[in-house]
Amino acid sequence: MKPFEYLEPTTVSEACALLKKGGAEARVFAGGALMTILMKEGLLQPKTLINIKRISGLKGIDFHPQEGLTIGALVTHHELETSKVIQERLPILREVEKEVANIRVRNVATVGGNLASGEPLTDLPQVFIALDARVKIASSGGERVILLEELYVDYYQTRLAEDEIITQVVVPPLPGRSGIEYIRFSSSSVVDKPCVGVATRVTLGPDRKTCESVRIVLGCVAPTPVRARKAEGLLAGKPLDPKLLEEAASLAAGECHPLSDLRGSEPYKRAVVGVLVKRAFPRAYERAQQG
Amino acid sequence: MKKQIHVRVNGLETELEVEPRMTLLEVVREQLGLTGAKLGCDIQVCGACTLLLNGKPVSACSVLAVDADGGDVLTIEGLAGQGSLHPLQEAFMEFGALQCGYCTSGFILTAKAMLEENPRPGEAEIRSYLAGNFCRCGCYQEIVQAIKRVAGR
Repeated sequence: MKPFEYLEPTTVSEACALLKKGGAEARVFAGGALMTILMKEGLLQPKTLINIKRISGLKGIDFHPQEGLTIGALVTHHELETSKVIQERLPILREVEKEVANIRVRNVATVGGNLASGEPLTDLPQVFIALDARVKIASSGGERVILLEELYVDYYQTRLAEDEIITQVVVPPLPGRSGIEYIRFSSSSVVDKPCVGVATRVTLGPDRKTCESVRIVLGCVAPTPVRARKAEGLLAGKPLDPKLLEEAASLAAGECHPLSDLRGSEPYKRAVVGVLVKRAFPRAYERAQQG
Repeated sequence: MKKQIHVRVNGLETELEVEPRMTLLEVVREQLGLTGAKLGCDIQVCGACTLLLNGKPVSACSVLAVDADGGDVLTIEGLAGQGSLHPLQEAFMEFGALQCGYCTSGFILTAKAMLEENPRPGEAEIRSYLAGNFCRCGCYQEIVQAIKRVAGR
């Protein structure tokens, strides 16, 4: 690892000011799970490393009836996995987290770091996007809130400016008659990065049959998480039936851009997308009928 | 520029001068001479460098020592009591849960953390929690048996 200057700000505004001063040579450091690897490999060689872990305002998981679930950027994967609030309000996140990497990574890697890294082979972004989650972003000039799906630009690229830090994820309360399901498929070992991850969410109309709003979010099969908007559009406004689902699954398989790699070829990954949509969506639908 | 950090290592308050780019594993092995934890994959996949930081397993190869400032570190050397081994160490010997031993400190420390979170895990829970620790000699059966014994299963 190349030498660097190491700073530990204790407030968000101090951290943003340091980032602004450091410019392109400065990097935010949270859990460090990905950063330390990139730095050891020489892929990143920051002159200044700004460790935000001493900022207490970035921790904690809360629920507010109006705003929904708020998850601090420094919350670790293992905290999500074991949080009582999550268990009560959004148990799907607990199920997702059980399968993320290994216990050592889950103990250090943070939610904010996971989202800000722009890493495409991961799980949380597609789940959060299916829930219409927003991210709060602080900079030296103030704060902004954007939909998470608007954060991503390309492989490892986000819309975060050099002096910006994600401070919180906000998951708005799910409307009644909503259900969600996420399925991650690993083509090698269980602790490997996912090959494909599909998140589906549906909110039903008062008849508990008609899909009122639909989210199908595909992860790991494009430079960024992708909403399968054609598939969503096909399912919305109708009750679910097997033929429709089959059609939606093949639409979704066409709405991504997977790369052939050691986790599977491009056609293979597209086929997995179709299978996962067919498995996940009916479960979300069932949950919505019960909800 | 070096930075002064204060960590509790195996119960001993320790002041250290470290470069920010040094990993916790480098500091523990090279400055403190505690060589039980090994460098394996160097990318948080194999678990050979596992240490407990504030009671939780971490990949010491990928934790900056400066980031552990103020923390509590347990290495395999700090596990045994005065004159007696830890029950996990006893069980690993009893079941022959190691051959070369390279992964063993990581497995034992990870198992210790698991048992503190969940004192009576079933076999599936043990396998899931330890899924990120690799044993290339292939002693997985014996490792699971040893941990089950300590968990009273």
